[in-house]
Amino acid sequence: MGKKVLMKGNEAIGEAAIRAGCLNYFAYPITPQSEVAEYLSHRLPEVGGVFLQAESEVAVSYMIFGAAGAGARVFTTSSSPGISLMSEGLSYLAGAQLPAVFVNIMRGGPGLGGILPSQADYFQATKGGGHGDYHLLVMAPASVQEAAEMVMRAFPLAEKYRNPVIILGDGLIGQMMEPVEFPDYLKTEPTKKDEWATNGMQFRNSNKPNLVKSLFLDPNQLNENNLILKAKYERMKTEDTLFEPYNIDSPYQVLIVSYGTMSRVCKTAIDHLKENKFEVGMIRPQTLFPFPEVAVFKAASKETCKAVISIELSMGQMVEDVQRCVQGLRPVHWYGECGGNVPTPEKVMEVVKSLV
Amino acid sequence: MEINIEGIIIIVGNYGSGKTEVAINLAVNRKRAGIDVRMADLDLINPYFRTREARKSLSVLGIDIVIPPLKYFHADLPILSPDVAGLIQNPSTLTILDAGGNDDGAMVLAALGDALKNKSLRMLQVVNPFRPFTETLEGCIKIRREIEKAAKRPITGLVGNANLMDETTREHIHEGYDFVVKLSEKTGLEVEFITAPVDLLSSLDHNRFSHPVLPIERQLVPPWKKAVKLV
Repeated sequence: MGKKVLMKGNEAIGEAAIRAGCLNYFAYPITPQSEVAEYLSHRLPEVGGVFLQAESEVAVSYMIFGAAGAGARVFTTSSSPGISLMSEGLSYLAGAQLPAVFVNIMRGGPGLGGILPSQADYFQATKGGGHGDYHLLVMAPASVQEAAEMVMRAFPLAEKYRNPVIILGDGLIGQMMEPVEFPDYLKTEPTKKDEWATNGMQFRNSNKPNLVKSLFLDPNQLNENNLILKAKYERMKTEDTLFEPYNIDSPYQVLIVSYGTMSRVCKTAIDHLKENKFEVGMIRPQTLFPFPEVAVFKAASKETCKAVISIELSMGQMVEDVQRCVQGLRPVHWYGECGGNVPTPEKVMEVVKSLV
Repeated sequence: MEINIEGIIIIVGNYGSGKTEVAINLAVNRKRAGIDVRMADLDLINPYFRTREARKSLSVLGIDIVIPPLKYFHADLPILSPDVAGLIQNPSTLTILDAGGNDDGAMVLAALGDALKNKSLRMLQVVNPFRPFTETLEGCIKIRREIEKAAKRPITGLVGNANLMDETTREHIHEGYDFVVKLSEKTGLEVEFITAPVDLLSSLDHNRFSHPVLPIERQLVPPWKKAVKLV
């Protein structure tokens, strides 16, 4: 586009995938992310792409498996209950080392929950969801612009690691409108897929037979496959951990760790508190796995810092990672809501001030 | 130039064109001018950012608003309150019906066909050329046709709502004005009014405009921002 347009997060996510070079989208509608499918049902035919609405989210995850196995760029979007249904497929994709991009625009849970914003799928995204020893690379945008850029980055990252990448946004990320500009430099080509994709011998430059599978009956082979996966997850930690520090050069008394739209409420609260001479710093993880472990530890270690608090739209999930990183150096607190109401900046200010 | 709108006004447009923000601000503007205003939230397709979210500040101003029963407030179900037909039967001086986006959102108007029969009303298409699918005149005309087909009634006028939310500049308003005037020339639809964020009003070149400007005091904001205070 080159110029700014006003888009809903869900629309921008759809457009970003196209601009990243992904023309395969399989999905099943669910609030609050159905606009992705709505948008792509108009846009994909214009660019020669495919949108197929599957009969269920389980079917979606195996359509993704098939397309990814054949070396095609492919993605899907859903919301919490839908991602639960896709979790089996996510485990199979990780086991078979296939690249694909998933987007979860989270709603309140558990069960059918509600349709308002939530971040209660943190554990599901970062600690498993499906079975087996695997991780997803988890990205968490805080604006429509960042959602678009993360989707565009997600495809090369999925291909770099041959592992599914999931974008974790809450309902507000999907539903709110903000100006967005799509950067051309994030459009990339898939690399090295001849080494693993089952895309047909006539389409590639090598004679190596490729096999896509997650079944390893020989215990040594299975262990070896899991060691390969483990090495990839370690590499993600060193090469692709992303976070944004906020007001971190100030002599802050409290350190907030917060992500997604909740972090934007926290930013407003931090700005107000600063006007009242109360300094608060924040680390905003942009990747939730790998988690910015070193950054959180360093920020918590600052001499002026008296307390750390994880502020999240869940009943205390990310706080466990924060505690792990802080290593008992400072007291770690939690504050959050998980019904769909997003705390106001005033409430965050009150909670933060009560810590010291 | 003052906005001079009375009767039953139906606000339609493509998804995200700003219908609800326009409907709320139009209601507030006319109420402040001393006109009795009632509104109905007919958005059956959008789960967030609906007229019902602003009901408290509107009721303080004395603007009556018909919304689905409170127990269904957060439901993503297409619930049309029976009170809407009552509102149409007994309209106030200005009655604003805020429909949902696209042809899907306008379909509810066909369902209200009997209630709207023989009523004098205007159906206004809100246009923001900085939104996908309405960046061109052709795009706007396509949406118009789709909405008219679903609503089973013609669009009678245009509202120019060019904006990039917080990043809107005077140039966007000027560019958007030229766009909606061209759309008017091409379609024969009258421009009823255009909009501009209230804090940009003084910087605009008002000599360019031969239509009224509705100031927008943004009400539908994310939780880290404050809505503009109406009272």
